[in-house]
Amino acid sequence: MKKILFIILSLALFTSCERKIDEFKASANGLDFSKFVSVGNSLTAGYADGALYLSGQENSIPNIMAKQFQTVGGGEFKQPLIGTEDGVGFQPIPGGIYCYTKRVLKLVPDKDCAGNPVGTVSLKPDFVSTPDQATLLGQLFTPPTVTGPYNNMGVPGATVQTLFAPGYGSSQGNPYFTRFASSPMATILHDAVVQQPSFFYLWIGNNDVLASALAGTDALLTPLPVFTQFYNMAVDSLLASGKSPKGIIATIPDVTAIPFFTTISKQLPYNSVVLDTTQAAGLTLLYGMYGHPDIKWHVGQNPFVYIRTDGTWAQMQAGDLFLLTLPTDSIKCKGMGVGDAVALKPYPIPGKYVLDKSEQYNIQERVAQFNAVISQTAANKNLALADMNGYLKQFASGMVFDGIKMSTTFVTGGMFSTDGVHLNPRGNCVAANFFIQAINEKYKSNIPQANVTNYPGLVFP
Amino acid sequence: MRRITVLLLFVCLAATTSFGGGYQVSLHGVRNIGMGLIGTSLSYDATTLFNNPGGAAFVNEKWSFSAGVSLIFARGTFQAKDVNYQANLKHELNTPFYFYAAFKPTKNLSVGIAVNAPYGNRLTWKDDVGENWKGRYLIKDISFKAITYQPTISYKFKDIFGIGVGLVYATGTVDMNKSIPLQGATGDGNLHVKGSTSNFGFNAGIMIHPDKGWSIGIDYRSKIEMSVKGADATFTVPQSLSTNFPNNKVDVMLPLPANLDVGLSYEFGKNKQWLIGMNFCYVFWGTYDSLVFDFQTKTAAIGRTATPALYTSQLIERIGAQYNINKMIAVRVGGYYDPSPVSTSYLNPQTPSLNEIGLTCGFSVYPIKGFSIDASFLYLMGAKREGTYSPDNFAGTYRTGFSIPGIGLSYSF
Repeated sequence: MKKILFIILSLALFTSCERKIDEFKASANGLDFSKFVSVGNSLTAGYADGALYLSGQENSIPNIMAKQFQTVGGGEFKQPLIGTEDGVGFQPIPGGIYCYTKRVLKLVPDKDCAGNPVGTVSLKPDFVSTPDQATLLGQLFTPPTVTGPYNNMGVPGATVQTLFAPGYGSSQGNPYFTRFASSPMATILHDAVVQQPSFFYLWIGNNDVLASALAGTDALLTPLPVFTQFYNMAVDSLLASGKSPKGIIATIPDVTAIPFFTTISKQLPYNSVVLDTTQAAGLTLLYGMYGHPDIKWHVGQNPFVYIRTDGTWAQMQAGDLFLLTLPTDSIKCKGMGVGDAVALKPYPIPGKYVLDKSEQYNIQERVAQFNAVISQTAANKNLALADMNGYLKQFASGMVFDGIKMSTTFVTGGMFSTDGVHLNPRGNCVAANFFIQAINEKYKSNIPQANVTNYPGLVFP
Repeated sequence: MRRITVLLLFVCLAATTSFGGGYQVSLHGVRNIGMGLIGTSLSYDATTLFNNPGGAAFVNEKWSFSAGVSLIFARGTFQAKDVNYQANLKHELNTPFYFYAAFKPTKNLSVGIAVNAPYGNRLTWKDDVGENWKGRYLIKDISFKAITYQPTISYKFKDIFGIGVGLVYATGTVDMNKSIPLQGATGDGNLHVKGSTSNFGFNAGIMIHPDKGWSIGIDYRSKIEMSVKGADATFTVPQSLSTNFPNNKVDVMLPLPANLDVGLSYEFGKNKQWLIGMNFCYVFWGTYDSLVFDFQTKTAAIGRTATPALYTSQLIERIGAQYNINKMIAVRVGGYYDPSPVSTSYLNPQTPSLNEIGLTCGFSVYPIKGFSIDASFLYLMGAKREGTYSPDNFAGTYRTGFSIPGIGLSYSF
């Protein structure tokens, strides 16, 4: 009998303890992901840290989505990959462009106003390496290693109008499109439509407000009628591309909520100019001499002075935002925002570093108008809608995923990249999951979400 | 007879069971385990010192010893909500033991000592890819164990009423790792906490033998506040953040909940061949409100964190039976239901506490009078349960199972 007991106990020990749970049951519910095509701007391209680079593209929102679609019959998702991990970013300069690498967090020695190290270090975004223009330009214009067509038609800088701009992919156009346009005169939307998507993603319009905001002005916003016309044209073209695709479109986040606009003002109050009697009287006199007698300086705290978009000077007010590009060294050491003590001149902050309240108001109003168009289009065309604007707002006070706290706070918030505008891979994963949720809700599908913990956040030195 | 034995074992193994609530481990005597872990109204060996000090004086022999060990083989699976992802509890053997010794200087007085491990938790989560499982920012691995030493005195009035009390000295150790979502060149940050502590409690009970064959026991074991003062907290974080995460001492507070057990049993048949009994065990889990970590060196990033647990007190129902086949062999069977003290919004991978059903069986062999070799088998199954640990937004479905063979020796003379 002991033998029997022994056998039964042994069997129980090694076999009866399997505790399985059914795996996730993925279902497309009729959606066809064999040809998934995404159209958009830098947020779609996987641009981050102020540059386009390889692993950024691999962690792009649509690429994360495409991997999930593959569990429900999704096809290959080709991206116009760039052959550099250090990346290429650029800005226009007279006669051409100036290139740089992506920025990563580094420990940078703090310096005093004379440029001498003071012995402490600060964690700051900094370029990976010293830019070598020839190399970076070469990398920027080298066509992707994989040949097209490309499922990810995200082009950094694209607006709703440039989706239709012939020559946008030419040598005179946007280098980020030039490098992979099917021909110099092909448009972004053309290259998307000819692929006859079975499912499309369109997230466009951010640059129609962001480009203006990044320049510290509300003067460059795309007018509402133009946006409405081109937006509907884009959606109609995709829908008429041949395979009666289903799709998802997304609202535009309120750009003033991103770290690019919220970070500096938290550290540097608009009214942190502290003066004594002599200084206040001297500055008032100085500003009067230079034709600004309306700008008065007082003992105690004073607001900085900046140049408005219309060229007039004004004192800053509570709620005006500094941009992340603000040269804080000039504020600290050269009297920017107050007066140049060497030249004995007023020294207002250039307008491109300040987004004042009226500019913010106009931008937010335009965002709301664009989003109304987008929501209406989704309803009219029976498309899924990802309300990224509403979703990003939830991150102002922070959201948590699997124990990872994420917020719109720069660096420590964990979701934005070092440029303060674009998301890092972990943020992209959260965004991709939000798109997937919207698709599941609209089409009653059950597409699995991506595992947020598998995607890296910011890397600290 | 053999057929009955095999049948009992078969029933025991075929049915499904589950592993208990929280981090209480009730494996205090191999004979009790065989009978659905009942014991509050039983007094046949030194195990009574722990189960109910009020019954120790009812043990007949002058000397009584009992020792044993259980081997906990744990299995568990986690399926993430909305994500195509599963992880498993890594197989880790946990071996709670016990040792009891009782001596009766007079017919009605018993003194003794009980040493056992009534609380503990040991687990490591792993997925197919490796160590970076999805819940690593909540817990990677934890080993928590409390051992209690309980000197006890028990007295009975006639053969009807016994009382007893024991002073409980508990020592506890904790060793845990969790990832920190701050990445450097080599991946995630990590927090390792390791420490030990001790504290006192008590165990008091009464036992009544109102009528021939009947026994009633009531036992109360107090809460023991285990405050680990100054456990070593070792942070592994990127160098640029190290000033915010200095290696440190941390105070960890974890209560061992009080228990109120009420047991009833009845012996009958020729030579009291049969015994049936039931227990109601009320566990005061309500005292476990949150797991508190209080770092002694505080910075902007670390301070005092209270991780909500919000346990609720639970009643465990147990039932068991014993049959003495002859003077040489006794067989046992039992079962119990142990409801989870954790609410669905606080279900977490650190203590994946499910509603559990336990089915048990066991036997003793008496090669010589007063000496027995005891064996038991407990199969505990956690019913599949979906929940979210809402403070961390960690959602999924858990299912666990435990095979727990036990072996022990008892000697009374």
